[in-house]
Amino acid sequence: MSRGQLDHGVLQAAAGWFARLHAAGHDAATLAQWQAWLTEDARHRLAWSYVENINQRFGNLDGQAELARQVFDNARSHRQSRRAVLGSLCVAGAAGVLGWGGWQRGWVDSPRAWFATYRTGLGDVRPLTLADGSQLWLNGGTALDVQFDEGVRQLRLYRGEILIETGEDSRPLFVETRAGRMRPLGTRFSVRDQGLATTLSVFAGSVQATCAGSGVRTTLGAGQMLVFDAQQAGASTAAQALRQDWSRGVLVAEDMPLGQVVDVLREHRHGHLGIDPVLNNLRAVGTFPLLDTDRTLAMLERALPIRVVRTLPWWVSIEAR
Amino acid sequence: MTASPGTAGSDLENLYRAHHGWIRQWLQRKLGNAHDAAELAQDVFVRLLTKPRAFNDHEHARAYLGRMSRNACVDFWRRRRVEQAYLDVLAAQPEQLAPSLEQQAVILETLEQLQAMFERMPKRVADAFSMAQLQGMKQREIAEQLGVSERSVNSYLAQAMYQCLLLEAELDDSLA
Repeated sequence: MSRGQLDHGVLQAAAGWFARLHAAGHDAATLAQWQAWLTEDARHRLAWSYVENINQRFGNLDGQAELARQVFDNARSHRQSRRAVLGSLCVAGAAGVLGWGGWQRGWVDSPRAWFATYRTGLGDVRPLTLADGSQLWLNGGTALDVQFDEGVRQLRLYRGEILIETGEDSRPLFVETRAGRMRPLGTRFSVRDQGLATTLSVFAGSVQATCAGSGVRTTLGAGQMLVFDAQQAGASTAAQALRQDWSRGVLVAEDMPLGQVVDVLREHRHGHLGIDPVLNNLRAVGTFPLLDTDRTLAMLERALPIRVVRTLPWWVSIEAR
Repeated sequence: MTASPGTAGSDLENLYRAHHGWIRQWLQRKLGNAHDAAELAQDVFVRLLTKPRAFNDHEHARAYLGRMSRNACVDFWRRRRVEQAYLDVLAAQPEQLAPSLEQQAVILETLEQLQAMFERMPKRVADAFSMAQLQGMKQREIAEQLGVSERSVNSYLAQAMYQCLLLEAELDDSLA
């Protein structure tokens, strides 16, 4: 609970950092100072999580900049003419809570993510073909930079998830996350950034993963999954189909615990989605539309002894029926 | 704003009985439409349910609920305005460029949220923020376009973000 933790000074400092980082771009010294400020105090991190929320919203409009500009221009001119109608109403004061995503997202990424070339908002899955013919899918909430030069093809994943089918090219391909570096050998695989840890799932061919800090190396074959961070890699387990199904916009559940289904849906919707823990182990079976999470919830409600309670548009909880 | 121990169920019921009528009438006068007025009046009480608070007396409650109703009205007009502007822009676009319906819903909701933030800022500050965030312009480019110094642009962006953070912190109830 964050009630009453922050003061105006902390918010001002966070806003100042936002402007400074925007000016400095990838300047390492500024990034280090900002990191130090974050590490200093939990309130700094809370304030910064709000900066992230706001940036996430702009991410939703990625690729729609021109449309958004026109809408805001139009809305502004409508506003002038509305003044008369509004009469005594004043705009000051707390803006509406309803329809607002007052959701709390963890503090996850560095400002690099906002300047990434490719960004998707939540609930948005996007295919992308790279210059070498590699086919890429960006899951919701993803930030990715692509850098191809003479000797090397490099992908930097700042947050979110990508699925890759590598194209024919003599240059080596690398995918980097905070946790480390992955080098595929003619293959299909997905990489999911989870902050400090990265999940690598290989569906065809093989991929070599190297931990960023310790240099520990693991080679993963088709059908395997690995979770690793900068220091160490866990034991490999069987790859989950859901780590590639999202690229088709579906969630295929074969006897999947409801708690896990809800985890997946959370990746694709704004707002709070809660579940009564006693329901976590109910089993879901079926193919669900991942990008239409409301419909998925309705389908689950019909199939299972649950009730979907909508307190507010963005506050939904799953309870026993 | 003072923190409160909460509005218990029966308190809320009493508040509803005492205030729902005039709120609804007031909204209907403002909006000129009974259906929207009924919905917004409902919203006001849903909001009270999610952010409960205690009142000293009848007048205190009345003043607070009046303010909430005004805010609900402002939000309502903004939603309408943004939605209309959005539909106008979409209508002027070739059809194959239009985003999918799901995308449209996300875009529209986002536009409404951003418009609410922009309305709290002076025009120049809002312009700079939108150039930086939506169009990915650098501070030097924004400075050229607005005819001000880079230092001013930097301060505009900090101001804009501060306004957004204030709103975010209010919603999260995290301001001391």
